[in-house]
Amino acid sequence: MLNRTSRYIAIACSLMLVFEGCKEDDYALPTPKDALQNDVIKRSMGPNIVGTNIEFTYAMALPAAKGKLSSAQVEATIPGAAATYLEYRSFYTNGSGVDVGVPVGNPSVNTGSVTKVDFTKDTSASTLRYFYTVPEDARGKPVSFTFSALSSDGSKVTYKMGPYNVSKMDMKLDLVVTDANRCFISIADMAVYTAAEAGPKATNIDLVYIYRVLTNATYNHSLVAPVTEAQYLQGAVIPAGITNNSKLVKAWNLRDFQLSRAAYNVYVDDVDFQKKDFKDAPNFAINMKAEAGLWVETADGKYRAYIYINKVDNAAKSATISIKRYAM
Amino acid sequence: MMKKILSISTLLIIAVFAFNSCKKEYPVDEDGLLITRRTECFVTDFDLLSSDQQTVRVGNTIVDTAARIVNIQVLFGTDLKNVYPVFSLASDCKLDPKIVGKTDFSDLTNPRKYTVVSGNRKVRNTYTINVTVKQ
Repeated sequence: MLNRTSRYIAIACSLMLVFEGCKEDDYALPTPKDALQNDVIKRSMGPNIVGTNIEFTYAMALPAAKGKLSSAQVEATIPGAAATYLEYRSFYTNGSGVDVGVPVGNPSVNTGSVTKVDFTKDTSASTLRYFYTVPEDARGKPVSFTFSALSSDGSKVTYKMGPYNVSKMDMKLDLVVTDANRCFISIADMAVYTAAEAGPKATNIDLVYIYRVLTNATYNHSLVAPVTEAQYLQGAVIPAGITNNSKLVKAWNLRDFQLSRAAYNVYVDDVDFQKKDFKDAPNFAINMKAEAGLWVETADGKYRAYIYINKVDNAAKSATISIKRYAM
Repeated sequence: MMKKILSISTLLIIAVFAFNSCKKEYPVDEDGLLITRRTECFVTDFDLLSSDQQTVRVGNTIVDTAARIVNIQVLFGTDLKNVYPVFSLASDCKLDPKIVGKTDFSDLTNPRKYTVVSGNRKVRNTYTINVTVKQ
């Protein structure tokens, strides 16, 4: 009898525990902190390249009864390039999905490594965007940021972000190459030249762009080293002295976001250049297509590059290319 | 009653061990692949991929299983020093030499040869891969 009673008690206790465990807590509105607060998110993704922006969004707020925002600033461990700025407008998205800026202060001022906005509007909450234009000094180094805000009641808050490594590579977008015209590509200069321009820069010319429509074979848009075999030059005239024998490796499905600016979340980074194997690589890349890519190692081994074909134009016998380059 | 249950359980455990130890082990070769009874030994298809993992084949590959020859034509401008061969073989077959990565097919006068080994590992047929470039 006692045994049975104990069993019932045990079962009852278990049931109580189970039901207790499933009980939902009543929701309570969170109580905001009674002080100035801030938060930061990093908006930009991918490698941080010199000349491009690292973008953040800085939010700050305090209870209206406490006062208003006085100033916001960002201090970088390496001063940003001149184009660095902190928005003086707070944005909202309207019914049409367009971001509309509402000025809340004076345009930002860069003083050394500090970018600052003084608020002119009576506001107790604001979200400002910060665009750090990566300077040449930061190449290959880590950079960190300290965001801070001041309010009229004398409070100060800070938020640290980083460190973020700045890539060693360079990037050049949307170079247009045209058959028998601006067809000489220099990785060293990150530029395209005509034959007349290329002659004096012979040592810097790494590739030639050629477009041909052959009767039997497929050639179309091709990139070749200036000293490749005659069958791959297809009669292209190479000015005297241009003798670089670059190594080329074709790539497909490598649509770098920064080069393509399309919706592919893929990035070519420094490490990709370091690890790329160019052993026995050819000096020709025939029939390149839009959205394809080409790994290049210059003849002197000084640079490696990734050339992305943004688009090709058969009628104009041209192509638009974008380049990421890494100095070895 | 309890004794009977114990003895039955013991007998059962012994039986399980006994049957387990008698389980047939399937033979595997030096690559750890199952050796089967199949004697079929031929190539069903062949392709070449370039460094960008795209096929460089033009038209269909012709596989002559009687003469043991594979004829493939590739695109003009194919970097034949750095292509990935892709074989399709009869069931349970394997290839010798193994394909471990990029292969050099650029010597068109001395075509590469690959031996197909049957599932029972007793039949070996050597195929010659003839590559021509579309001009």
